[in-house]
Amino acid sequence: MNTYKALVKDLAPKKFHKKDQLWMLFLSVIIIAGLVAYIDQILQGQKVTNMNDYALWGIYISNFVFFIATSFVGSVAVAILRLTHNNWRTPLVRIAEIITVVSIVMAGITIMIDMARPDRLMNLFLHARLQSPITWDVVIIPTYIVISLLLLYFPLIPDFAILKNYFRKKKPKLSKWYGKLALNWTGSPAQKAIQSKSIKIIALMILPVGLLLQTIDAWLFSTTYRIGWDSTNFAPYFISGAMVAGIGGLICVIYVVRHYKKLEKYITDFHFDKMGKLLTLVCLIYLYFNINEYVIPLFTAKKGEATHLDTLFTGSYSVLFWVVTIIGLVLPIIVLLFKNGRKPKSMFFIALIVVIGSWWKRYVIVTPTLLHPFLPIQGVPESWRHYFPSFHEWIITISTLAMALLLITIMVRYLPVIPIQRTADELGLNKKEQEENIEL
Amino acid sequence: MEGNKTDRRKFLDKGLKIGLAALAGSFGLSKFSSKLSAKNSRSSADKIELMTTDGKLIQVDSSEVIEVEKHNDHDSTYNVREGMANRKFVMVVDLAKCKNALKCQSACNKHHYVTGDNAWLKVYDMQESKDTAHYWMPMMCQHCDKPACVTVCPVDATFKRRDGLVLIDNDRCIGCRFCMAACPYSTRVFNWGEPNQEVTLNMDLIDHMSSPEHAGKPSQIGTVDKCDFCPHQVQEGDLPHCVTACPNGVFYFGDKYEDTVTNGEETLRLSQLLEDKAGYRFLEGLGTEPSVYYLPPVDRLVDFEDGLEFYKEYESVEKPEQ
Amino acid sequence: MKRSRISHTIVLFLLGMTVFCLGLQNLSAQDNSKNKVRLKVDYVKIINGDSYLDISTGARIDKKNVSVPYLDLLIYNETEQDEIELGTITTNPKGKIKFVLPELRSMLPDSSQIYTIKVAFKGNENFKRASKSVSFKDANIAARLITKDSLNYISATLTDAYSNSPISDEHLNIQVQRLFNPLKMGEEFNNTDDKGMVLVPIEEGIPGIDGNLLIEVVLNDNDTYGTIKAIVEAPIGKVIIDESTFDKRTLWSPRDKTPLFILVFGNFLIFGMWGIIIYLIVNLFRIKKV
Repeated sequence: MNTYKALVKDLAPKKFHKKDQLWMLFLSVIIIAGLVAYIDQILQGQKVTNMNDYALWGIYISNFVFFIATSFVGSVAVAILRLTHNNWRTPLVRIAEIITVVSIVMAGITIMIDMARPDRLMNLFLHARLQSPITWDVVIIPTYIVISLLLLYFPLIPDFAILKNYFRKKKPKLSKWYGKLALNWTGSPAQKAIQSKSIKIIALMILPVGLLLQTIDAWLFSTTYRIGWDSTNFAPYFISGAMVAGIGGLICVIYVVRHYKKLEKYITDFHFDKMGKLLTLVCLIYLYFNINEYVIPLFTAKKGEATHLDTLFTGSYSVLFWVVTIIGLVLPIIVLLFKNGRKPKSMFFIALIVVIGSWWKRYVIVTPTLLHPFLPIQGVPESWRHYFPSFHEWIITISTLAMALLLITIMVRYLPVIPIQRTADELGLNKKEQEENIEL
Repeated sequence: MEGNKTDRRKFLDKGLKIGLAALAGSFGLSKFSSKLSAKNSRSSADKIELMTTDGKLIQVDSSEVIEVEKHNDHDSTYNVREGMANRKFVMVVDLAKCKNALKCQSACNKHHYVTGDNAWLKVYDMQESKDTAHYWMPMMCQHCDKPACVTVCPVDATFKRRDGLVLIDNDRCIGCRFCMAACPYSTRVFNWGEPNQEVTLNMDLIDHMSSPEHAGKPSQIGTVDKCDFCPHQVQEGDLPHCVTACPNGVFYFGDKYEDTVTNGEETLRLSQLLEDKAGYRFLEGLGTEPSVYYLPPVDRLVDFEDGLEFYKEYESVEKPEQ
Repeated sequence: MKRSRISHTIVLFLLGMTVFCLGLQNLSAQDNSKNKVRLKVDYVKIINGDSYLDISTGARIDKKNVSVPYLDLLIYNETEQDEIELGTITTNPKGKIKFVLPELRSMLPDSSQIYTIKVAFKGNENFKRASKSVSFKDANIAARLITKDSLNYISATLTDAYSNSPISDEHLNIQVQRLFNPLKMGEEFNNTDDKGMVLVPIEEGIPGIDGNLLIEVVLNDNDTYGTIKAIVEAPIGKVIIDESTFDKRTLWSPRDKTPLFILVFGNFLIFGMWGIIIYLIVNLFRIKKV
């Protein structure tokens, strides 16, 4: 490896080029379109969606569940890998933390879009009932936002100090901001002690809190009588699904960031190979829970369950279900079992398929159940027996995904995507250089 | 000849005079008598300015305007979230008598100013399995004793009262629709857009009368609505609208604590009725403990098919002519 | 000449009368355009209570029966000579009203002890005048609760108030007061015997608040006597117990009655997590201070 100097230069945030600016513009346009559509929804009410009294939750909720699932990556890539002493995770953790923060923040925003009376948001706090699973969500989401922010921030402090020095001459204003966020970090033993203790606590804490988050998300569905939701299997099913979605998302973002920031030296084929094995593992676990969820009820084939499984296997949602399961889950497992399948480019495409599959899988979880209630659907217009999101719903949903990508892009622009200090420590780079805080 | 001419002239002259006098007299009399009766009904000269439903300003005698007060307005101790003391309201639906006349549905829609596409009270074409008979089943909010909808509401907008009713506070509801997801009876409806009740509901009067005890008066955009068992009727000593509207005596309503239900004509002991006719509750196995009992469709006098002429698979709320 | 003058006068007179009648028609035509009010008056006497008239005003407009609210009515005691005004009253928004009669002593019956009350509506700009009379003789029901062999009965005697002689072969309704309509006891027709008595068993286990039942003995809408009602307080009912979960801590209770498990465990988790978070944020300040 190179000197400390070179390390910092490689990992320090760089200016946006034209391509990056175009990307930001593209995302901004989508977001503005989404904002306009949302304002229209506020003015006219949710009748601009295609939801009705039967399909009462739609793409807003399945999108919300997707964001919650993706936010689990922090717990997996940082906490679980740390607890299992997988030290190769170092170059990946920063991106994982960024994705976590962005996902959970977007989850909070997305769920508010589904509220038909956002003007009464405060009621969720003023009149909260602890018996309601939504209240549990209202508690756990802000908690997870704060914890994931802390998980991102604590390891960043030394890096901010490094960047403050790095930019002192070239970009004094930026340097000042880094300085403020660096909290007078000098690398003293006292500071290091507080920092490492805090990181240990957060890493330990984020796992149960993350599990609690996924569990509560699952309980939003499994605390109802609905066939397809009323399942004791739902919480572990959602947890394993979150691992899949999270790691898939992580691999996608890492591949793109590595490519554009030319970090091939730091994130190598070895890392992709390891992540590929991890993805295979979590996909297998998820497949196990899928079998529990969709195959076992066939044995008793109770009327309601039989209707639900019919809908998924051969009925109106069958194409979506099989694509999501075979192409989105089984195919990745098969490909990733081979070493060549775990090469970076292949990994990227597989991970992309996994993420897209994850998004549509949650659509398959939310909508079909609502369209076969206990009582037959009668006395309402024929269109109410089907659901496909409206133009407003699509624009708003796509704009939330665009906003997520925008936030990730902004954070990747200004934060070192690979922990500088940690990497330097692990490589044992010239201590003297570090102590002198070389300006570059 | 001259004399006759003069006589005729005189005759016509007199005739005209008498005729005119008579006409004038009778006109005068009629005006006078109407003025007399008019004076009786106008006791004061005060006029009040009101706005009609289509936005016109009119002047009305203050004597014509009478303030309608709900009798609970004075009672500051009445807690609308607790309800009427010593009552537990139940309904019994006799499926043997239901012919899908749908008078219940229209009465409910009318008196709750329902403007959406989904009625709060629907009569379903039910068939348990392919070899068993079809029957008509009116379904409305079951006001469960273990209401799943109340359990999941995050803001206490829907609540279970001591008198058994499950009601909605439309000022509190945030429109999350979790209650709709939780209800196994598919009985809650949502105001996805503006309810547009201005045509059916006199919006002037609703301000100091809007209460969870009269659902739909008014409905609010982005909130949920459902059958309320008409506590606004019960407070006046009247039966819910569906009960009185049904021409076949299908709905019985009453107080379980009094062990008595009535459909307006027959008044019976609830326990006796349920025993004699083998009453049951719908989806009992879910453990919701509904407050609506059904009497099985046995010994029906009318064929199920006769109800098909009123059956509208895709409609439950009649829209007014535009 | 004289004859023609007389005939002329007669013709003129007839002409004048015709015109006058036409004019009058105008008057009554205005009256004919108004609707007719239908007055329904029932006399009700509560033993040991008030006697009153149940009045309802309605009309048939556009082939539909509707109630007519806010009508001013005058009530008279009609005697053989005269009409004594008893009072005025206005019907409520539902077109109904109850007019409490003064004690029978202060009213005058006719020679056969029949009281006649007239309810009159003087007419207004929308409705024609109308009136309805109701006639009744005074009668009494003496009712009491009897317990024989641990079975409960209501025994009631119907007598004419003036002559104190029993009224036989009239059917009395024995019913328990309930929220909407009363619960009938006994046979479809409980007829008084030659002593004017009925004995009706009361069903077992009828619930009442604190075990108290209010049992009504009613002579309903009798041609001679009107409606007479005697109320018996019978503490023979089953005590009503509040079965509601309103006061309990349940999953569906409001937030002030959260189940203890959720309250304890939930707050433990919330304060636990946020306690640690606050500690971590404090650590950030500590790092800055060093």
